[in-house]
Amino acid sequence: MKPKRRAMTSTARPVAGKRASVPREPRRSEGARSPALATTRPRPAVGPRASEAPAVVEIAPSQVDLRVDLGRGLILPNPIMVASGTFGYGIEYGDVVDVDRLGGICCKGTTLKPRIGNPPPRVTETPGGMLNSIGLQNPGVDAVIEKYARTWATWRTPVIVNVAGESVHEYVEVARRLDGVPGVAGIELNISCPNVGAGGLQFAIDAGAAGEVTAAVRRATDLPLLVKLSPNVADIRPIARAIADAGADALTAINTLSGIALSPRRDRPLLGNIYGGLSGPALKPVALRIVYEAVQAVNIPVVAIGGVTELNDVLDFLAVGAVAVQVGTAIFADPTVPIRLADELAATCARQGMLAYRELIATALPAAKGRPSSKGVEYRP
Amino acid sequence: MRLASAELVDSREILPGQWLQAYHAPDLAVGSRAGQFVHVRTGDFSGLVLRRPFSLNTTDPATGIVTLHFRVVGRGTEWFTRLRPGDAIDLLGPLGRPFEVDPRSQHLLLIAGGLGIAGVRMLADEAIRAGRQVTLLFGAASARDVYPSSLLPDEVEYVVATDDGSLGHHGFVTELVTGYEAWADQAFACGPTPMLAALAQLVAGRRDRLGVAKLGRKRGGGKTVAAGSPAARRKSFLQVSMEQNMGCAVGACLGCVVMTTSGTPQRVCREGPVFAYDEIAWEGGW
Ligand SMILES: Cc1cc2nc3c(=O)[nH]c(=O)nc-3n(C[C@H](O)[C@H](O)[C@H](O)COP(=O)(O)O)c2cc1C
Ligand code: FES
Repeated sequence: MKPKRRAMTSTARPVAGKRASVPREPRRSEGARSPALATTRPRPAVGPRASEAPAVVEIAPSQVDLRVDLGRGLILPNPIMVASGTFGYGIEYGDVVDVDRLGGICCKGTTLKPRIGNPPPRVTETPGGMLNSIGLQNPGVDAVIEKYARTWATWRTPVIVNVAGESVHEYVEVARRLDGVPGVAGIELNISCPNVGAGGLQFAIDAGAAGEVTAAVRRATDLPLLVKLSPNVADIRPIARAIADAGADALTAINTLSGIALSPRRDRPLLGNIYGGLSGPALKPVALRIVYEAVQAVNIPVVAIGGVTELNDVLDFLAVGAVAVQVGTAIFADPTVPIRLADELAATCARQGMLAYRELIATALPAAKGRPSSKGVEYRP
Repeated sequence: MRLASAELVDSREILPGQWLQAYHAPDLAVGSRAGQFVHVRTGDFSGLVLRRPFSLNTTDPATGIVTLHFRVVGRGTEWFTRLRPGDAIDLLGPLGRPFEVDPRSQHLLLIAGGLGIAGVRMLADEAIRAGRQVTLLFGAASARDVYPSSLLPDEVEYVVATDDGSLGHHGFVTELVTGYEAWADQAFACGPTPMLAALAQLVAGRRDRLGVAKLGRKRGGGKTVAAGSPAARRKSFLQVSMEQNMGCAVGACLGCVVMTTSGTPQRVCREGPVFAYDEIAWEGGW
């Protein structure tokens, strides 16, 4: 096998007209490799690699470049975002969380019309996680814009509106209303919703439907477009490809895994809606698998979601090719987790002599397979 | 609302499976009000991903002590019972909206079912400090579950009902209410939802039974206040403290809602846990 250094030019998009010169590493000849090195995964050749040569200068965590480019001008200050449905509209945690230190905020799922959601109980703890069946309760896109956009516009952190709908038309109409609204930095399509037009089958489980809704929204808005994958499918790859081909700027993965819990007396399902979505650490191996597969199927950036709780989770998802992560359920136990993870990521990079976190990306991917998109990885100030 | 570390000072099992714990948490002891709650993190991280909401049972600004009263229902609550004095826990609070006592109310009727006592216990302290008279109606399955009177202020008139008649009135606590509705200016309840629903129904019929002249106080007719506002709740004869499974406890996840008569679900953690009885759609409504 012949691991190649990342090709930097294919998806390169100069940001603000600047491109940093990338210091080239001396190429080791294939024969000089120790057996251990031969199996080493290829790594992006970005930034000085003090991890391979003794560091000449100490790197402070504050010097580590944590920025992420998700495409179409959506640049996150750091790769730790908060996941839709777990952080409301960004204001609920008040002084407990400094939103300006988050990498990005995905707000609660937003639909065209107000929705009252599912009957309670809506949440319950399960081993290593929880189930939720909120049922997309939200005041509708117009009210969301009116109530929150002005506040969002004052934040440094990009706010991405999570959009849901029951028909292509609904998604498109919501996207159209969000287009050009100051404070709205992007759209994340939650396609784990029943497509009423297609007999209630979820958009997310069918490559054709997923591609169709993505393409339609793509035509309706110039906003950066993220599409969120559902794990409740047999094979994610054709779906991921269809979404990428339809013009999405990035994928986010994954949404919750369908499950149920029982009442204490075991006389009925516990949740008012019977079914709920599993989230939390229990979900992580599934998310890791899907990110691993999606990254190799597409060449747009992938943002990982599922059980992120500690730095090791972040490092794992980066290693399978994600460019950023979203933290959801872990916020409930400790709302300071996302900010702490960003700090710990910077500290870990500094300790290893890395000037940019992107060196951590894709280290665990098979060498022969396609490279993950470097669009988000590539951004240099 | 803030995240605070609190040190366990005292812990004991006051009733079978029910614990009373005292924590040193000066920030919370000052500035919290009766009806509010805290969201407490368990230190057992082997698969427990959610905090546990507990009513603020009592607070003492002078000593910085807050007490929590809970029942052991699972691994999370069990973990708390194994804490030793000096151990620290992580509290998020104070959360939710408190009980609103009308300034003119002199006679407060508190109604608690079982562990619901933790929801109204602090209101007894507040009311007595403000020079009001308090009657507490308490219902439990049997004598062994009855909240010890030694844990109540002396000034509180304490009336007990048990389902099996082993102590006090034989029957439901709700059956005691009509005996006090003429005396009471306002009532405040916490307990199982069927109990609260029964109380709401009783109170809805109160006007007919007592006649307008015997209402605890005159209702100001003119000014209308927005339903759900503190002012509207302050005017309500009965306020109830609701319970619901919670995720975030700050209003972010919409996991904890109850249906209201306005047709919109309200968050127990944010708009509640205290509601006026006529805000709640007791039959559901989804
Ligand atoms: C209470 C709750 C509400 C959620 N609501 C939404 C939603 O509205 N839209 C969406 O795309 N995902 C929603 N999710 C899924 C999360 O964004 C995330 O994909 C999932 O929880 C997995 O991440 P985690 O394990 O870090 O929680 C919700 C999750 C939870 C726990
Ligand atoms: S528990 Fe999250 S909104 Fe109330």
